[in-house]
Amino acid sequence: MSLKFVGKNITRPDAIQKATGKARFLADIHLPGMLYAAILRPGYAHARIISIDTTEAETSEGVVKVVTGKGCSDKYRYGDNIRDLVPMADEKVRYMGEPLAAVIAGNPHQAKQALKKIKVEYEPLPVYTQALDALAPGAALIHEDSGSYWHLPGVGPKPGTNIANHYRLRKGDAEKGLRESDVVVEAEFKYPFGSCAALEPHGAIVWFQEDGMIEIWSSSICPFIIREEVARVYERPESDVRVHIPEVGGCFGYKSDITVEQTIAYIAGFVPGHPVKWVASRKEDFTSTLLGHGMIIRMKIGAMSDGRLMALKTTIYHSTGAYSDTGVHVSIAAAHNSTGAYEYPHCDLESILTYTNTPAVGAFRGYGHPEAQFAQERLIDILARKLKMDPFVLREKNYLGPGKVTALGERLHQTNGDLRKCSDIIKKAVFEKPKQEEDSEYYYGRGFAAVMKSPKGAPFSSKSAYVKFNTDGSVVINCGGAEVGQGLRNVVRLVAAETLKIAPERIHVYTEIDTQFSPWEWQTIGSMFTKQGGRAVMRACQKTIEQMKHTASQVLRCDVDLLEYDGEYVYLSSDPSIRVEVTKLVRGYMYENGMVVGEVVQACADARLPRYSGFDENGQGSMGVSYTFGAQAAEIRIEKSTGKITVDHFASSFDVGRVIQPQQIRGQVTGGVMMTIGAALFEEVRFDETGKCVNPYFSKYRFPTIKDAPLRQTVQMVETPGTIGPFGARGIGEHPVIGPPPAILNAIYDATGIEFFEIPVTPDKMKKALDEKAAGGNT
Amino acid sequence: MPEKITLTVNHVPCTVEIEGWESLLDVLRDRIGLTGTKQGCDDLSCGACTVVVNGEAVKSCKMSATRAAGADVVTIEGLAQGTTLHPIQEALIEAGAVQCGFCIPGIAMGLYGLFNKNLDAGDQEILDALEGHLCRCTGYESILEGAKLAQKKLKARL
Repeated sequence: MSLKFVGKNITRPDAIQKATGKARFLADIHLPGMLYAAILRPGYAHARIISIDTTEAETSEGVVKVVTGKGCSDKYRYGDNIRDLVPMADEKVRYMGEPLAAVIAGNPHQAKQALKKIKVEYEPLPVYTQALDALAPGAALIHEDSGSYWHLPGVGPKPGTNIANHYRLRKGDAEKGLRESDVVVEAEFKYPFGSCAALEPHGAIVWFQEDGMIEIWSSSICPFIIREEVARVYERPESDVRVHIPEVGGCFGYKSDITVEQTIAYIAGFVPGHPVKWVASRKEDFTSTLLGHGMIIRMKIGAMSDGRLMALKTTIYHSTGAYSDTGVHVSIAAAHNSTGAYEYPHCDLESILTYTNTPAVGAFRGYGHPEAQFAQERLIDILARKLKMDPFVLREKNYLGPGKVTALGERLHQTNGDLRKCSDIIKKAVFEKPKQEEDSEYYYGRGFAAVMKSPKGAPFSSKSAYVKFNTDGSVVINCGGAEVGQGLRNVVRLVAAETLKIAPERIHVYTEIDTQFSPWEWQTIGSMFTKQGGRAVMRACQKTIEQMKHTASQVLRCDVDLLEYDGEYVYLSSDPSIRVEVTKLVRGYMYENGMVVGEVVQACADARLPRYSGFDENGQGSMGVSYTFGAQAAEIRIEKSTGKITVDHFASSFDVGRVIQPQQIRGQVTGGVMMTIGAALFEEVRFDETGKCVNPYFSKYRFPTIKDAPLRQTVQMVETPGTIGPFGARGIGEHPVIGPPPAILNAIYDATGIEFFEIPVTPDKMKKALDEKAAGGNT
Repeated sequence: MPEKITLTVNHVPCTVEIEGWESLLDVLRDRIGLTGTKQGCDDLSCGACTVVVNGEAVKSCKMSATRAAGADVVTIEGLAQGTTLHPIQEALIEAGAVQCGFCIPGIAMGLYGLFNKNLDAGDQEILDALEGHLCRCTGYESILEGAKLAQKKLKARL
């Protein structure tokens, strides 16, 4: 297929607005009559609220209103999977970042000053920061009434326990598979809490208007879920709730689902007529929005002595935090994707989502894949050693590919991509030359990880596009997909340019999302926009071409299917000189006498994954047969004197089906790799035994800087076209974060012979392990 | 009590009323309405609020408004001339360094401060200047490439 625009480095349409500081983010919005909220967070992670005294705060300078959550949990309970969330603590607090009271004032400073004057009495309750503690017999319940919560079919809490959801997938007979295996390896792995930590903190503005409208602005990727949930809680038609999404300064997952918006709506409801704005401080962004991960993964693999994988048993203890609505599907995805890139005939995969007294866990780039495949890829290397087999040979024997069946029970095809090709590219890029020998200062090591990414969506997770031709033949496109930096506006533009055969400069792509005008989209998650959003754009473009042909068939007096379209003209295929200009068709065709035929050239279309389903009684189902595969590897050095680990070279290859814009795809990969080099080596959101977050600042949450970047990254794409996405394209957003932690920890073993089972491997931990090894300990 | 200060922002003299708790960042964003300068953290560690004050790149969240009295401040809005982008902006765009865009104003101003003082800055000096700018999107490869390209463009302009 010869393509003119797709696959070229055409600059993204939002670059200039962003580089000049003109792009408008949530914090940049000022509205007439706007008031500002500041939110009080409790001093305990789990406690009954005895009393809240707001008297002094109410008379503080500039204060308009002081709000508490008393009585809110009946009317305002929310969530779109498990309705366990409340906008503000009512009778008890369940984590230290929970909204407990709020001050609305004339400016943020006044609001924050008044917060200090609110007095709260508590009755402390036991605190659990890890799932295994909250699951212990006799543990206090974090949600006493979890049995009464509304939830989607197939998920939900187990009343009388701290279990928020229990998912189990069975394929074949794992017990039998393990029994019949020649070799069994097992280990426990930990992927700690992390923060997506987008540079733009979360925030929202909510305005209850005199005419009944509720207008909302949020740094979010799910305007339509916000609209539906706010409309439901406030008993308004969805059409009376208008949600705007301005520029979003990074997301990486935690601005999905509905989170802070219901709290700000609850607060704003006390001052109708005024827009109320709240922007998280960085500390609040860590402690009061969503965290990621928080998983302990116990994994057992059985294999035959020739390297055939037989059975996988995975048990994931997932600390979901105080509320489970946003964590439930992460937990499920982690379990069913824990096979990684391999076919196991027998699987028993379960995840136990557990309430803990920590901030709620939600989507974090990768959505369960990085955590479970961290365990899988570490354990595969360990298995290879036990089998005394080259780890590449072991992997290649078991790679998923055409004809193989995933844990979910889906049979794969050539169009799911070529994992072997990716694996070979990485093998060549990193492992072909001999390993660098240890010297006086450093150990050197190399490690590999294969990667599988399934789409985690929902059966109704459609995306849509609206395409409108202008009288000069230029085009405007509107979608509901949230641009968070990933570059989807350029994907929309390039896919449309290619389909409509017109230059990208003549296509204007939407900036804000506004539920009043934007076509419906479920939410922009799961690396699915290129595939599904791109497909919706293509379908809408094709509809406009059909509209033009239909009008032209009347003008040219011939059958529609005898006509062709080239971007400028619609013409008769047998005689291209018989034609009509596109510009004469866009408002319908006008004859010389002023009469007009044909419809206005504009069209809307949607796209969803085919046959995506829920789960059956075995926990199996369909992801729309829409997988992506890849391979990644790290070359590292470990400084002997300090334990500091440096990534010298990181290589990634994914079969993305079709590269839409090479520079953007490289940016997605280099950024994703950096993000989880951070996870592997430094990042962890830590809590003390009282449930207090001890490092909710960038200066304490070690965030990779330019000096942590690998000296070199190899990024090479394979393009085996898929059948769903535009021009064969698949997603890439989340994939690059999956491989770095296992590849780096495999490289640490290669360098030193030391096994790590949890991240981050900080210099202190590395140095300690080196010292112990020197003293004859850990080998 | 409010007080008045006068400072020059992007070559325009401005007199604004301030409260004692306000920072230069607050003045630029909330008093003058130049929202291109961003706030990404509470503890001076992200660099998104970087502007150039009297020729030096500084974190505007760190400088009190009172101290900014009389200062000559250049913000991201002061880089482009009309619709002509500054070479630093062009370079960051060409290198693909603009993803979500939240860190970019600070990075552009950090580089503006660096190259105004030392257009011959070596790789290490560029890394030192950029170390205080956090970016969650790019992995920094394109930012470093953009910085070097900006330097080349600025030298070619001499």
